[in-house]
Amino acid sequence: MSIEALNISKRFGQFAALEGVNLEINRGELVALLGPSGSGKTTLLRVIAGLEFPDSGTVRFNGKDISDRTARERQVGFVFQHYALFRHMTVFENIAFGLKVRPRSSRPSREKIRAKVQELLRLIQLETLAQRYPSQLSGGQRQRVALARALAVEPSVLLLDEPFGALDAKVRLELRRWLRQLHDEMHITSVFVTHDQEEALEVADRVVVMNQGRIEQVGAPDEVYNHPASPFVYNFLGNVNLFHGRVDDGKTYIQETATGQVLYVRPHLLEIARLPNGGSHFRARIKQINSAGPLVKVEAIAEWGDSVRVEMPQERFQNLQLVKNEEVFIIPKDVKIFAKREPA
Amino acid sequence: MATTFPIRNLDLPVSRHATAATTERTWVRWLLIGTAVVFLGVFLFMPLAVVFSSALAKGISVYFSALREPDALAAIRLTLIAAGIAVPLNLVFGIAAAWAIGKFDFFGKSFLTTLIDLPFSVSPVVSGLIYVLIFGLQGLLGPWLAAHDIKVIFAVPGIVLATTFVTFPFIARELIPLVEAQGNEEEEAALTLGASGWQTFYRVTLPNIKWGLLYGVILCNARAMGEFGAVSVVSGHIRGRTNTMPLHIEILYNEYQFAPAFAVASLLALLALATLFAKTMVEWKSRQHAKELARMGETA
Repeated sequence: MSIEALNISKRFGQFAALEGVNLEINRGELVALLGPSGSGKTTLLRVIAGLEFPDSGTVRFNGKDISDRTARERQVGFVFQHYALFRHMTVFENIAFGLKVRPRSSRPSREKIRAKVQELLRLIQLETLAQRYPSQLSGGQRQRVALARALAVEPSVLLLDEPFGALDAKVRLELRRWLRQLHDEMHITSVFVTHDQEEALEVADRVVVMNQGRIEQVGAPDEVYNHPASPFVYNFLGNVNLFHGRVDDGKTYIQETATGQVLYVRPHLLEIARLPNGGSHFRARIKQINSAGPLVKVEAIAEWGDSVRVEMPQERFQNLQLVKNEEVFIIPKDVKIFAKREPA
Repeated sequence: MATTFPIRNLDLPVSRHATAATTERTWVRWLLIGTAVVFLGVFLFMPLAVVFSSALAKGISVYFSALREPDALAAIRLTLIAAGIAVPLNLVFGIAAAWAIGKFDFFGKSFLTTLIDLPFSVSPVVSGLIYVLIFGLQGLLGPWLAAHDIKVIFAVPGIVLATTFVTFPFIARELIPLVEAQGNEEEEAALTLGASGWQTFYRVTLPNIKWGLLYGVILCNARAMGEFGAVSVVSGHIRGRTNTMPLHIEILYNEYQFAPAFAVASLLALLALATLFAKTMVEWKSRQHAKELARMGETA
């Protein structure tokens, strides 16, 4: 099912959670709503679900205006941040809930419900834990039960609020790959909220970057990462160094405040060298080196006193044999410029 | 019964080392424990013993004839009627209030919360007087009621009203913190899964608050049956018609009929003991439930 949110605005008292948001989600897509806390991403998700009603704007499913429909009538699958499993029901009863509460005329038979629940338990690989209560499950298991419960009613849209937020790093990684795989098998239109850019970029077909109740950019992961539309997006999607300066004829001029422009450079797009290459470069002194992990992170002090972050592969680091307090040259390989009136 | 808020024991884990470091010397411990025991003995156990011994002082036959006497039976019946109406009313009200206050934000919420506590903070006699001033013959609605031949004051409706008012806060008070702590998420989940409002309440909300609810009902019932002050003002003390058990006991006592007075009083004392027992069971049961879940959670 396709989803359209048209000109959605929502205030909570003085706080504007959403300001004229427009978003289209295609049928079968997996979309991430990405943004810092307070950016309105969860509110937008809840507006789509019908758990929150906007002050103005329209929500359409398959082109049909469903703005006035309640959460119950919209028949979306919703996975809550803290799972919201029914604590007094077993895993089995939790998953069966959506089928059991159907009106008699459309309620499946007891056997059919049982079969459906068994099928979902197999899907989430928790067949042996059907009689456990939510409090007896680990976080990752609860998350999967919440997902199975939402899928039991065969929703045409699956909405997930920070689905991996409360899990530890390793389980997170596993579950998000599993979610991606699940989506590839079921092709159910899915929207998930996250504040983790890595998660959004890895899992989603398209990423919606939000900030202060507005959408900053919508695009495929590589598109938003490589061609950020605003300083905010550039900043939010990864580490970045800011320089005042300008670019003229392919040459980068750094530390020219008068130009009114800001240059953005990702740490891995700065190169450290012992000799100037004749092109754009500046001097710096190595202050800190952290070589744990696949990338070596180097902090250097530029000649004008600002701190600069540089990242390089381990191999390059081994070749360079950098030491602390060493004087080096830093060469920007790619810079991005935004007009200064839009501070990041 | 005293107007105290029910406070439940929390099962806090206590580490042995911490206990050792914070333990007092032996004689201090015995002194404190001894004081508490003497206090409880004098103010709780002795009166209770006196109630039963005085009730049976003139023999078992006097005891039972005092309870079988028509006025006593009428008082018992009226007490049951008053509690039988007040408790269900406050049950519905308590759930509704806890639901509204615990799950929603609205203008005047803190005012409503304060209002619910009003019966606790007002003297029961004043509570009774309020109803006399509203429904009494000289009261606000008095003339209209008299014209339509409806009796509220010095009649059963007044007693039910006064009882309901005084026992107003018990269930709501017990449920509000519980409902607040549980939040909205499970209800929202039920709604997105297609449950109706009633299904959500019946299948999700109610099971989550059932122990707190039962606890509130027990306390509410005990207070409803034992209420004296407010009921005394609106009852008019008409024997066999508007006397509840506490009022009946007072009348017998004032007539120097000690054994019958204590016989009826022993029924109320038994009710108190039964309430304590039920309350302890409910607490034990809900704690057991929580412990079981926690224990199984650890092994999971």
